[in-house]
Amino acid sequence: MIDEKNNESHLFAPGIHGEQVPMRDLSREEVDFCIVGAGAGGGVLGAKLAEAGFSVVILDAGPHWDPTKDFVSDETASRKLIWTDERITGGEDPVELGANNSGRGVGGSTVHYSMVAMRAHPEDFQRRSLEGEIARAELLNWPLTFDELEPYYEEVEQALQIAGPTNYPWGKRRKRYPQREHELNASAQVLVRGCVKLGIPVAPAPIATLSAPHKDRPPCVYRGFCNYGCTTNAKSSILVTYIPRAIRAGAEVRPNSMAAQIEHDKRGLVTGVLHFRDGGEDLFRQRAKNVVVAGYAVETPRLLLNSASSLFPDGLANSSGMVGKCFMVHSGHQVFAKFRERINQYKAPPPGGALTEHFNRTMPDADFICGYTIEVVGPHPVDFASRISAARGLWGAELRRTMLDYNYYSGIGIVGEILPQQNNFVKVHETERDQYGLPIPHVIFSYHENDRRLIADAKRKMKEILEAAGGADVWTADRMAHLLGTCRMGNDPMNSVVNADCRSHDIPNLFVCDGSVFTTSTGVNPSLTIEAIAARTADRIVELRRHNAIP
Amino acid sequence: MEREDFRSHYSGYDVLDKWSSPDWDDQTREVIRRRLENVPVVRFFTEQEVRTLTAIVDRILPQSDRSEIEKVPIVPWIDEKLHEDRHNGYRYEELPPQRQAWRWALAGIDETARALFAGKAFCDLDVQSQDVVLRHVERGTSPGDAWKIVPAQGFFTSVLVIAIVQIYYAHPIAWNEIGYNGPSSPRGHVRKWEGGVDPWEAQEDHD
Ligand SMILES: Cc1cc2nc3c(=O)[nH]c(=O)nc-3n(C[C@H](O)[C@H](O)[C@H](O)COP(=O)(O)OP(=O)(O)OC[C@H]3O[C@@H](n4cnc5c(N)ncnc54)[C@H](O)[C@@H]3O)c2cc1C
Ligand code: SF4
Repeated sequence: MIDEKNNESHLFAPGIHGEQVPMRDLSREEVDFCIVGAGAGGGVLGAKLAEAGFSVVILDAGPHWDPTKDFVSDETASRKLIWTDERITGGEDPVELGANNSGRGVGGSTVHYSMVAMRAHPEDFQRRSLEGEIARAELLNWPLTFDELEPYYEEVEQALQIAGPTNYPWGKRRKRYPQREHELNASAQVLVRGCVKLGIPVAPAPIATLSAPHKDRPPCVYRGFCNYGCTTNAKSSILVTYIPRAIRAGAEVRPNSMAAQIEHDKRGLVTGVLHFRDGGEDLFRQRAKNVVVAGYAVETPRLLLNSASSLFPDGLANSSGMVGKCFMVHSGHQVFAKFRERINQYKAPPPGGALTEHFNRTMPDADFICGYTIEVVGPHPVDFASRISAARGLWGAELRRTMLDYNYYSGIGIVGEILPQQNNFVKVHETERDQYGLPIPHVIFSYHENDRRLIADAKRKMKEILEAAGGADVWTADRMAHLLGTCRMGNDPMNSVVNADCRSHDIPNLFVCDGSVFTTSTGVNPSLTIEAIAARTADRIVELRRHNAIP
Repeated sequence: MEREDFRSHYSGYDVLDKWSSPDWDDQTREVIRRRLENVPVVRFFTEQEVRTLTAIVDRILPQSDRSEIEKVPIVPWIDEKLHEDRHNGYRYEELPPQRQAWRWALAGIDETARALFAGKAFCDLDVQSQDVVLRHVERGTSPGDAWKIVPAQGFFTSVLVIAIVQIYYAHPIAWNEIGYNGPSSPRGHVRKWEGGVDPWEAQEDHD
C-alpha cells in the first residue's frame, strides 16, 4: 500500500472476484465527463464513453460493493443496498420510497433489482399520436423511435447476456436471446397454469441472470436472494458488467461521493461537480468539460434544483419549469393466493421465469388506455409478512397463524403503465435538510383516473388467473414500482428537459441519462430501456464531439 | 395470560442446523450471530416507554407460547433504530420525524388507554382492553391530544406494525416456525417446481 502513495495517480477498486483492480485517479484533472450516479444509466454511459477514449469520472453516493464479501444472504442486513435517506412523500397516493425502488452504491438499483429485462414496444414511443389528448395527462411522443433504439436494445442484451426464450411472442420480431431461458419455478408454474386455463398467452421471461457460464461468471444457482445482492455474480447487474469495463477503459469510479451541486461559469456552461467524500464535511470539486446527471428520478431533479444560482434561479436545465415534473411510477399491484402444494416462493429469482404481455396494449374493449405486464413475484418472509399485514390489516395472533402457511402462497404482480401528470412532481423541501445539509426531496404523487381503471382491471385479471390455477384465500397488495420521468425527453424545449440525445435543451454540456428521461412510462420494467438509451447516448456523444458540438 | 397455539408445520426444523453448511457464508453467519447474541441495550426509550411498547409488541406479535427468554426480542431493535436514527427512505407528509413520531405515539396510546379505561395505563390493561385501544388507533378513532401531532392510523399501519413484523420475521425462530429456508449462499436450489423440496429445506411433519 505504501507504494501507491508514491504514485498518486493510482487507486484500487474492488473487482468482482474479491481481487483489487487498479484504477486511475482523475480527481485533479479536468475530465471530459463527470457522471453523477453509477447505476443503470450512468454505468452504461460511463463505460462506453471511457471505451471511446474520453476521460470519465463516475461519482456514486454509496459504496463500491465487493460481491464476494459485502452481500449478505439476509433481508434485513441488505438494507445497506438501499437509498434510505429521508424523503418526504405525499399526494393522494404517496409513494413508498426506499427498498422497493431506490438503490445506493456502485451499480445503482440494479444491484438489488429483479432482473426482468424487457424491451418497450414501438407504440410506447408514440403515445400522444396513438391516444390523442387525454384530460389531465401530459401525453407526449418520445423524440426517439423504437427503430432508433432497437440496435441498442440488442447491444445491451448481448452485454448483459439476457436469458430468454427462442421466440418471444410480443412486440416487434426479434433475434433469439443470447442465453437460453431459465426453468420455471413454482410460482411461475402457477402463472402458466392459470393463463393456459383462461386462454391467455404466456411466455418465458427474459431475465438478466446467466443460464449458462459466461466468461468469468457462473450461471444462476437459484438462491433467490437477487433483491439482496447476488453473491455468485450470476446476476448481470451493472456492478459486475459495465463497471469493470469502465474501470478497465480508464474511468475512475468514485464511491461514497455525494454530489451536492453542479457548478457553471458566467456563460452558463457547466464546469464540474461539488461533492462530499467518505462522509466528510469538506466539499471537493471535480472539474469537467461535460456533466451527466444519472441519479434516478428523485435524486436527479433534486441535484438540478439544488444547483440553482443567480443565473439559473429555478435550477439547472429548468427554463421549461419541467425539472421534477411528470414524475411517474409503475403500478406494481400484486395478488397472492394459497395453494395446496408447497410453493416456497423464496426459491429462484423473483421473476420466476414466466410472464404475460397479453394485456400490455390499449385494449379495444377496455375503459382505459395503455396496459400492463403480469409477472411473478417471490418475497422472502420479512417482505411477505409486511405485505400481507398491510394488505389485510393483519396483526396479532391472526398474523402469526396466517404466516405459518408462508410456503404455500404464490404471487404475481403487474408493471402497469401510469400516465404522466403535471401535478405529480419532485421538488426540494423548504425546510428539511439531510446529513449533508442539503434540502431533501419532497415527492407528490396521485393516480390519474385512467391509472385507477387500469389497476382495477389488472387486479381482477390477476385474481382470475390465480383462481384458475387452483388458488384460494386470494388477496391484493397495493404497490408501486420504478421511478420515472422528472427530466422528460422531448423535441420542444418548452415542455421537456432533454432532447433525444439526453442533452439538456438549456445547457449544451449538461446531460441527464437515467430513468428520469422517460417521456411516458411504458408497460414494461424500465432498466433495459434506460440502458439502451445510455448506450445510444454514448454513440451520439462521440458523434457530437466529432462535429465539435460539445467541449 | 392465555397461551395461544401457533403450531408450525415443521416441528423438526431448525435453520441454525445449517450454520456450517454450504447455505451459510461467513458474512451471513456474522450478521445472524449478532442478531442472536448481541441484542442491544435500550438507549432511546425511557423506562415507561419501554413498558408501554413491550405491552404493544405483545399484542401485535404475541409470543405467549414462549417463555421470556425464548421470545424473539423486538423492543431493543426498534430502540436501536431510533437511537441511531436510521431512516426508511421515506416519510409520509403528515408524520413528524420518526423519533418524535414514536415518542408521541407511545404517549398517545397511553392517553387513549386512560381515556377509555378509567385512567389506567396501557400496560396495566388486560389483553382484551389493550386490543380495544389498538383497534381504535388502527381506525384513527383513538381519543388523545398526542394524535393531533401524530396521525393515529398512519402511524399504526405504516410505522408501528411494519416495524414489529419486520423484526420478528427476520429472526431464525420465526424462520423455523414458517419453514423458511433462510440464508442460501453459495448453495442455491435445485427442486424449484411446485411441491419440490430440496433435502436441505424445511421438511414437513407427517401426521
Ligand atoms: C427491488 C427492485 C426491483 C427492480 N426490478 C426490476 C426489474 O426486474 N427489471 C427492471 O427493468 N427494473 C427493475 N428495477 C428498476 C431498475 O433497477 C431501475 O429502474 C434502474 O436501475 C434505474 O436506473 P438509473 O440509472 O436511473 O438509477 P439507479 O440504477 O438507481 O442509479 C442511480 C445511482 O445514482 C446514485 N446517486 C443518486 N444521487 C446521487 C448524488 N447526488 N451523488 C452521487 N450519486 C448519486 C445512487 O447512489 C445510485 O447508485 C427494480 C428496482 C428495484 C429497487
Ligand atoms: S438466484 Fe441467481 S441471480 Fe439471484 S442471487 Fe441467486 S445466483 Fe444470483
